[in-house]
Amino acid sequence: MSDLPPASSVKRWLVTTNHKDVGVLYLLTALFFLLLGGVLALLIRMQLWVPGPSILSGRAYNEAVTTHGLLMVFWFLSPFAFGFANYVVPLQIGAKDLAFPRLNALSYWLYLFSGLLMMVSFFQGGTYDAGWTMYAPLNIPEYSPMVGGTTAVLALLMFVVSVTMGTVNFLVTIHYGKAEGMGMWNIPLFTWSILLTVWMMLFAFAALLGALLLLGSDRIIGTLYFTATGTEDSSLLWAHLFWFFGHPEVYIVFFPALGVMLEIFQTFSGRRLVGRKWVILAMILIAVQSFLVWMHHMFLTNINLEIKTIMMATTIGISLPFDLIVFALIYTLVKGRVQFTTPFLFSLGALLLFILGGITGVFLGAVVLDYEFRGTYWVVAHFHYVMFGGATALFGALYYWYPKMTGRMYDEFLGKLHFGTFFVGFNLLYFPLFLAWETPRRVFEYNVELITWHQLATIGGFIVAASFLIMFYNLYVSYWNGEPAGANPWEFSRTAEWAIDSPPPLENWPGRASYADGSLSFIETPSTTHAADGGQVAEPGVVEEFLEVHEPTETEAVHDEPHEDHASIWPFGIGVGLFVLFLGLSGLHGAELQGPHYLAAIAVGVGLSGYALLGFGFEQFHAPEAAIAERWPFEGIGKTKLGVWFFLASDVVVFGAVIGAFIFIRAGMGWGAWETVPPDPLPGLVNTFVLLTSSFTVILALVAAERKSKRGLLGALGATFVLGLTFLGIKAWEWSYEFSIGIYPQTSIEASVYYVTTGLHGLHVVLGMLIAGFMLYRIYSVDAYLEDHRPVEFFGLYWHFVDIVWVFLFPLFYLM
Amino acid sequence: MMYPTLSHASPLAPLPRLPGDEWGTQVQLFEEIFLVFLALGTIVGIVVVSYTLYNAYKYRDRGEETGEYDRPVLGELPTGEGGGRKLFLSFFLSAVIVISLVAWTYGALLYVEAGPSEQGTDENLDVDVVGFQFGWEFEYPNGHTETNELRVPADRVVTLTITSTDVWHNFGIPDLRVKADAIPGQTSETWFLAEEPGEHVAWCFELCGVGHSDMVADVIVMEPDEFEEWYEDPEAYENDEEADEDDVEEGEEAADEAADDEEDADDETETVAGAVVAR
Repeated sequence: MSDLPPASSVKRWLVTTNHKDVGVLYLLTALFFLLLGGVLALLIRMQLWVPGPSILSGRAYNEAVTTHGLLMVFWFLSPFAFGFANYVVPLQIGAKDLAFPRLNALSYWLYLFSGLLMMVSFFQGGTYDAGWTMYAPLNIPEYSPMVGGTTAVLALLMFVVSVTMGTVNFLVTIHYGKAEGMGMWNIPLFTWSILLTVWMMLFAFAALLGALLLLGSDRIIGTLYFTATGTEDSSLLWAHLFWFFGHPEVYIVFFPALGVMLEIFQTFSGRRLVGRKWVILAMILIAVQSFLVWMHHMFLTNINLEIKTIMMATTIGISLPFDLIVFALIYTLVKGRVQFTTPFLFSLGALLLFILGGITGVFLGAVVLDYEFRGTYWVVAHFHYVMFGGATALFGALYYWYPKMTGRMYDEFLGKLHFGTFFVGFNLLYFPLFLAWETPRRVFEYNVELITWHQLATIGGFIVAASFLIMFYNLYVSYWNGEPAGANPWEFSRTAEWAIDSPPPLENWPGRASYADGSLSFIETPSTTHAADGGQVAEPGVVEEFLEVHEPTETEAVHDEPHEDHASIWPFGIGVGLFVLFLGLSGLHGAELQGPHYLAAIAVGVGLSGYALLGFGFEQFHAPEAAIAERWPFEGIGKTKLGVWFFLASDVVVFGAVIGAFIFIRAGMGWGAWETVPPDPLPGLVNTFVLLTSSFTVILALVAAERKSKRGLLGALGATFVLGLTFLGIKAWEWSYEFSIGIYPQTSIEASVYYVTTGLHGLHVVLGMLIAGFMLYRIYSVDAYLEDHRPVEFFGLYWHFVDIVWVFLFPLFYLM
Repeated sequence: MMYPTLSHASPLAPLPRLPGDEWGTQVQLFEEIFLVFLALGTIVGIVVVSYTLYNAYKYRDRGEETGEYDRPVLGELPTGEGGGRKLFLSFFLSAVIVISLVAWTYGALLYVEAGPSEQGTDENLDVDVVGFQFGWEFEYPNGHTETNELRVPADRVVTLTITSTDVWHNFGIPDLRVKADAIPGQTSETWFLAEEPGEHVAWCFELCGVGHSDMVADVIVMEPDEFEEWYEDPEAYENDEEADEDDVEEGEEAADEAADDEEDADDETETVAGAVVAR
């Protein structure tokens, strides 16, 4: 716990947990990765100026193509959108911050350090070069031998961890923290789009996490998941896992942009959205259906006609709700008073680009056409129109919320110049690629007849790049010299972020936001009119008509917290620690240590992150939480418990992916052809009893905590800890015996799957025991959890989950 | 026999067939469908984009209210506007276009999927294609293998059985509109029919490593008689190549490439690829 330094101090930006600060950090970092990915794109376009090798070698070209894709999709698009989400979502729903501010800061630091790890990978003999889709078996060290390739996979793994934490955070924030009177239907559309985005992320990124764990273990330990050569088992495993994530990912990056369009179209046409409920329903439908179309990326594999037909139908089906949304946007303009400001131009441009991307997407939906378009520039042009076209709206968002974030207006002329240059450059860049569509993807040889189109595209690429120089200049100069923006620079805005000063004060508004009487008001109680610690006094910022003062209700009086924290150094510390640790792990590339310095990095990384995690755990941190809020359908459940549930839901998918991979491989081999790895099921059986007993002791611990019995709590939780140790001890003995008779993870695919799956479960047990050990220490030293026993309950949820997973693993790996 | 159902399913013109031939080629099929999609896509695109721009311009802000409108105000609880009927009408219309278009192509998909193999004809030439880092190997029914050069007869269905020995590749001949994944451990099947003798290039359409850009093979479509001659004894044919090329020149339109080939006939792979791919 520490006070938040002023914005001019560097320290502020290392310790801040405030959603607006973190949002700004996300935006700046994402723009940096846009530049990096953009430079790589320019390299690609320069190589394509004429057919054949020129400035880049074959490997360097593949690295450029691969990392351009990875950086833009993972380190630019989503984080850029989540910069806005961080800043705006709490404001729009009337919350003071995200549900878990420190976790939010941790998400950011893991994002930044995962990006740095990605950059380091370029200097480890070359980075990953097997395409952003990372198809197997090109993704294993045998075919992609650079150490940097392993680092890139680890960087992605770290990024996914960051996303998972952010996902849980946003889900709880939006479901749990909406101002009184704001029901689900009343959520502003940008927030709606973020809500659906994080729901998709929760499951899609968990599948990617599962896939990356397998790939990481192949690259580091040398397991055999994707060494599919000559066997039928796992050659499509990666494609299924990746696209199960990959297709929802398309909507994950597009939805925030859509939300921005919906918001900006309303503000600058002075109209409410036409068919609002239908638009929301359409978005929900898309979010659900996005998990049912992934095999359309695999139409040319040998999946059978029936499945192709189903996937074709679901693919066409998912395009229809988008039609409705597009028409809703267009009809919203009718009878409006359309103001052609920079944000509106970018949103309108995004809509036009998306229409083109959508129409060309229908071509791909027809399987016979897809057969020919597969692997060509048609696909390249199409997805740039959709994804980068979507990002166009995000630049609109940057101009739209820039006055809110900085308190100053951007230069409107330069903004429009940026748009004009960008839009012309964009179409000059990507439209010719439709005309040159017969060019194979990721190839720098092409039919010389197409050279005009490729050269036009290259010119367009440089124009797009130049347009961003205008943007950076504009935003920089306006930050110092722009006109003061005031609380609300837009005539027809209506969401809550415009009802407070720009930039908003630390805790957003005095008292709490409420829509209870049908429109926004900030309800102050006399006791909450103190200045927030380390921040400004809030009152001067508020547009006065919204201010109300009343006596506290009973609920508020109980929940009134005198002190709210906004600073913690530990998220940054954990980020640094994990960065060093992951960098060290990359040195285990191909099960061979690449040098002693990597080993040192692992040791330092474990030490640093362990220290920082302890600091995180011991820190007293009060997050702002509204006493009165709309929480449907989670009224009856606590904030942290809801977070634990969301986390476990994603963990179910991680295990689902890993166990699914096992079933996929085994079914491919023939179920009976699989050789059971453990020579004797007895240790597994004993461990099953041990874990089930530990589930029972966890329940006893909760009962003891409820009865405020310190001894009982210590005893029961201690017993759980000892049982966990027993489980791990038996496991260690079992593994060492198996090693002694020559069964290693690298021995056979069966052994790989056995060690990785049970190992992942073992890691969950280790994590659980670390938490249990921490809790035991706290009970022993400061009588923790006797007043508030909820943490024991959360731990119990997690522990039961880990036990249930074992109940599935035991028969799968020991008996069948 | 899927082809006739195609014409029933089609709200538009039936797909063309080769005169005197039961099957259309994949080239014709693709051109037809692509053209229809392109035409409709262009029309829909122009209509929707123009309509959007028209409305944006027509309802531009003139600085004053021209009628009685209930504009959004700051702090109101977000709600929507009416206008659902028009929305659903447009939605319905677009859905009809998209669904009928794709349903129309479904018949063609069945045709391509079923392929000529369903006919059980012995006339087909079956070639096994094996992708490797970085090239293609073609194996003919008589056991003859070629690397980076696929010779096929004109006017005869060629069925390809495609796999890979190392990583994922994708075999495609853009000119002939044929493409399939080459996946280690699995086989994919496809077919094509080249109407005229000529030379084409096969590319790899899936990123497969450092040599991906150079992973090209020549596809040489020969007169059926000539192909038979080559197929009977490829070695003799290659030795006798100069004479053959004279035949080609006499019998067919004299290609400039053929003249080039004469100059350095010993490395034909490079020359043909070089004719198409400028370096």
